[in-house]
Amino acid sequence: MSTPTHDHPQPTDPENPETASAPESGGPSSGGSAAGGPSSGASGGPASIGPADMDEPPKGGSFLGYLLRKLGGAAVSMILVVVLGFFAFRMLPGDPVLKIAKERPMSPAQIAELRSQYGLDKPVIVQFWDYLVGILTGDLGESYVYRKSVAALIGEYIGPTLLLTATAAVIAIALGLWLGQLSAWRRNSLFDKLASSTSLVFWSVPTFWLGLILLMIFGGTLQWLPTGGMVTPGLEPWSFAAVIDVIRHLILPVVSLVAVVYAQFLMVMRASLLEEMNEDYLTTARAKGLTEDEVRRRHAVPNALLPTVTVVFLHIGGLIAGAVTVEAVFSWPGLGKLTFEAIRGPDLPLLQGTFVVFSAIIIVMNLAADLVYRWLDPRIRRA
Amino acid sequence: MTDLRFDDVSITYRSSSATRGDVIAVSGVSLDLPSGATLGIAGESGSGKSTLIMSALRLLPKSARLDGQVLLGGKDLKELSFGQIRAVRWAQASIVFQGALHSLNPVREVGGQIIEALEHHAKDTWTSPEKRKARMLELLTEVDLDRSKAAAYPHELSGGQKQRIMIAMALACEPDIIIADEPTTALDVIVQKQILSGLASLVAERGISLLMISHDLAVLSSVCENLAIMRHGRLVEYGPSDRVCLEPAEEYTKQLAGAFPQIGDPESRMNPRTLKPAEVTRAQPLTMSDEVVLEAKNLNVSFDTRQGRERAVRGVDLALRRAEILAVVGQSGSGKTTLARSLLGLQEVDPGSQLSFQGQALPRKAKALRTFRRQVQMILQDPSGSLNPKRSVYEAVVEGLRVQKIKDREYERVIGALEAAELTPAADYLESIPQELSGGQRQRVVIAGALALDPQVLIADEPVASLDASVRGEILSLFLALKKNLGMSALIITHDLGLAWNIADTVAVMRKGEIVEYGEVDSVLADPQHEYTKELLAAVPRLGSQSLVRNE
Amino acid sequence: MTANTPAEAAPGKPSGAGSLNPSSGRSPQSGAPAVDGAKLVRERRLNNAKKNWAMFRSDIPAMVGAVLLIFFILIAVLAPLIAPESRLDVTKQLDVPRYAPPSLAHPLGTDDLGREMWVRILWGSRVSILVGVAATVMSMVIGTIMGLAAGHFTGLFGAVVMRIIDFFLVLPSLLLAIVLSSVLERGVFTIVVAIGLTSWASTARIVRSQTLSVESRLYIERARILGAGHSHILFKHLLPSVMPLVLANTTLTVGGAIIAESTLSFLGLGDTSKESWGTILKNSMDVSAATSGYWWYVLTPGIAILLVVLSFTMVGRALEAIINPALRSR
Repeated sequence: MSTPTHDHPQPTDPENPETASAPESGGPSSGGSAAGGPSSGASGGPASIGPADMDEPPKGGSFLGYLLRKLGGAAVSMILVVVLGFFAFRMLPGDPVLKIAKERPMSPAQIAELRSQYGLDKPVIVQFWDYLVGILTGDLGESYVYRKSVAALIGEYIGPTLLLTATAAVIAIALGLWLGQLSAWRRNSLFDKLASSTSLVFWSVPTFWLGLILLMIFGGTLQWLPTGGMVTPGLEPWSFAAVIDVIRHLILPVVSLVAVVYAQFLMVMRASLLEEMNEDYLTTARAKGLTEDEVRRRHAVPNALLPTVTVVFLHIGGLIAGAVTVEAVFSWPGLGKLTFEAIRGPDLPLLQGTFVVFSAIIIVMNLAADLVYRWLDPRIRRA
Repeated sequence: MTDLRFDDVSITYRSSSATRGDVIAVSGVSLDLPSGATLGIAGESGSGKSTLIMSALRLLPKSARLDGQVLLGGKDLKELSFGQIRAVRWAQASIVFQGALHSLNPVREVGGQIIEALEHHAKDTWTSPEKRKARMLELLTEVDLDRSKAAAYPHELSGGQKQRIMIAMALACEPDIIIADEPTTALDVIVQKQILSGLASLVAERGISLLMISHDLAVLSSVCENLAIMRHGRLVEYGPSDRVCLEPAEEYTKQLAGAFPQIGDPESRMNPRTLKPAEVTRAQPLTMSDEVVLEAKNLNVSFDTRQGRERAVRGVDLALRRAEILAVVGQSGSGKTTLARSLLGLQEVDPGSQLSFQGQALPRKAKALRTFRRQVQMILQDPSGSLNPKRSVYEAVVEGLRVQKIKDREYERVIGALEAAELTPAADYLESIPQELSGGQRQRVVIAGALALDPQVLIADEPVASLDASVRGEILSLFLALKKNLGMSALIITHDLGLAWNIADTVAVMRKGEIVEYGEVDSVLADPQHEYTKELLAAVPRLGSQSLVRNE
Repeated sequence: MTANTPAEAAPGKPSGAGSLNPSSGRSPQSGAPAVDGAKLVRERRLNNAKKNWAMFRSDIPAMVGAVLLIFFILIAVLAPLIAPESRLDVTKQLDVPRYAPPSLAHPLGTDDLGREMWVRILWGSRVSILVGVAATVMSMVIGTIMGLAAGHFTGLFGAVVMRIIDFFLVLPSLLLAIVLSSVLERGVFTIVVAIGLTSWASTARIVRSQTLSVESRLYIERARILGAGHSHILFKHLLPSVMPLVLANTTLTVGGAIIAESTLSFLGLGDTSKESWGTILKNSMDVSAATSGYWWYVLTPGIAILLVVLSFTMVGRALEAIINPALRSR
């Protein structure tokens, strides 16, 4: 999961970058496997070594091995999330029940009941076991506020969140990468300056504030777009009017999410393309008589995309987290709003549930990123 | 056919920072490459040779300004439109870049990269994709590569194979001129010989003119008819390569030529040519004794790789005596660096290997190892990399003393070490930082850092490989002086048989982790017994005589 | 990235190379003439500082950012002198109109309880900037230690540290910070801990990659050959070489931390008894200011955040460019 980023642009083997960067200093990869020149020696002139070059780097691991390593990594992260989800909510100072009790007046009997309801009167290890079994069977406890099963609530709210974040992610990636590569290629041009400074400004504001401003202008003052929710009640589901209505509801939250995130993608893409700009293979391409556009599209961008992909997927985690505030601002009926309400509750079982589910989504996204990366980069694919 | 002419060419880089001003990379160079001719341009780093050839295809960065004329087939390149220049590129003149490095796009198959050149200059012959593919495969065959390599990515190829791909690419559109930019740098001598002779014969068969640049005079002279020597952007000397190499007129050319010893030439035996030889202060210089200081018996080192366990060093027996200089010669990947690291205890060795220093087994515990390192020191390949760029010379030299907790007479020890490394007056350099020093001075600081600990043995890994040719002799003569003055023993790891001829008493030839031949330099190099030693010796480029071309 | 960059040393030189062993080189007992070495060093540092300052000064956005930052820090420090805290006391604002739009009498307008917006912004800057800086310092310390450990130590220990970094890198810090601050006592300290504990991973990644690149340099191998152990390599070579990067990164991270603070406060996880820009925005949300036409209530705190974050970013980028000349073209 530590595939290179714009800070570390040379894609080395993520597992052991040390050996990859070592010169001839006797590392196993260079010192051991590579043998000196043709062994045949006398068997004919210099023109005979072609096919059997001993210096040829060895062929690398299989896709299955790679997949298993990455799956293992994701599994470790997931276990950490699950463990953290448990201990954060039960082990940290401040008994969660007492905390609830502090915010809403309760009798000792109610507190005791709450305790047994959450299983807090059992030994920690038993609680942990119950929790693990619960997660594996899809039982995430019961929401304190909604008086419903957390799993059911999440099932109900996850759809809108996926719609919102997926739309925002696709737009942000397309926009950010496109503008980023143009910006880098025309470095220091007016276009670059405008694009870079706009993205810096967007990068410097909280997502929810941008949402509030959009809400104020387009929902409040101009009244062009709805101010909250996902559909206007009363419309036939899946009718043309309802789809249009959902799209109208979608515009403002998507724009607020995109604005902040595309800026990051733009800057990453710009930085990694600039990193490639002085590479020798671009000179080779120019010397071959390619136009500047061809040099960019065929050679520079494919290479610059590699480090960008990882960073982009890392930031998608941030985009999903940004959904929490944006959904709160626009009353979008998704997991983010659920989280927002869980915080207000405070509804710890619900918060724990949304945390685990959000994290799971992000871990899966990153697993996908690693697979995409391998598909894009032959150096990882074949070596 | 097309000829290439540089007519009073000057190239200036405009610098963005006002303080540095403009940098003149090339000034007033006139050179002529008639069609079918071969011309080599030699120069050290910063001589402007790369800048000059980039102007031949108008590939200079925007910050460069060109004065004078570059004429390709009689046409001034400056006059051409961008479309015209694109048509000229690769079709009339192509370039072989240092393929071993980064000149191929790492994420595209190499075959496709060759085809790309064909697509842009699709002459009548290669109109369809099938024909272009066939042409590409034909090119691979011509450079002795297997056709299956077309689908390979650059990282899957060895340095030599990548260079062959670059040559195939350069030949693709049947150009009139091929420009080769350091085509064999970073390749081993044997591979270098194959690439050079392959390139030379391909060019000769087709009547293509060849313009080759290199820092290596011997490489150029083994291929090119004419030689030009450049220094600080100026042309120093120009003439037929035999004359330039063997009877150089200019002092600078002599110095460059002297850096390439003729193995077997008694004049350069134990006598590296330099303008600044290190001083031998002893009235009776010390010579090799019989007392063994460092010894390895049945040394084996293995690594775990994805392919299983590989043995990098196999059953090596070596003995280094007092005041002996032993050269371990081998190609990259022969295990010689691993061998050196093992001798220092930096590398885990296989069970059964015996390493001893002055008759005692090498310690294994961290603390004892630290004490042992006072006795045996190592000099690494690249002096610039071996010094922390932020720390002064004093800090660099004193580092060993501090680490070893040697507290007394710190200042004197540092000054003494710097003087022993011939960096004088030592006091002037104490507060300099590495970037203020030349490559040779940096190497002296590194050597002083080792000498400060008063070691008995110096192990040096390619001590002159990254230095300019003119500095090579200075550093080598320093090693000789250290031996003669202090009785220091040295084990020098190198790929360069000439270095052994210059300073070593004994030589060990390594191949695939094994020592194939080991003995006195005079006997081994004069009368090699093992096939591999013979092959290595034959591959060493000789000055002058276009040896590689004429042998064909 | 080459070794011979002209401005290797950090501009402010809090961790400059020579500070490790300043003058012990010229040992007093030797009494040898110091060849003006000390003076040479001083001159070189002075020149470096001058060069870096000139470079910084020529970066106009960074200069504007620096001036703005000084302004905000000044008003944060002097807030009690400019506007006494009593002006935030709701019970004393009974005669002030509520929701008054900006005017001469109320420069930035008033809120739902009749408090002056400018006073709230003024006092809010204290918590926002304090949290931003404190959380960043915490995250820098953790990130540097973890990054160094992951880059320097190989084997199981390094792998475990790497795994931990990966975990925090993948999970958005906001999510973790929400969890932490919702289970801990509400308060400024909690917010600092919540942000600091969760946002160090990107620093660790940068430090790790820098450590790896330094680790592969020959001078580390040379130190080993001279007999150096882990502590010598870590503290004499690796730490000094990552410090400038970390410092530049600090300035860049403060902006992120300020945004994180405002987000947490907005979600109601902040200390409601203390003014912060996030809290003001939360209040504005609570009274639906955005849809009710109280634009100043939404706009002013956001612009304050934007200005401060942007300033930190501009200064940070300029510092980064000074430290890493390869970035300069950007």
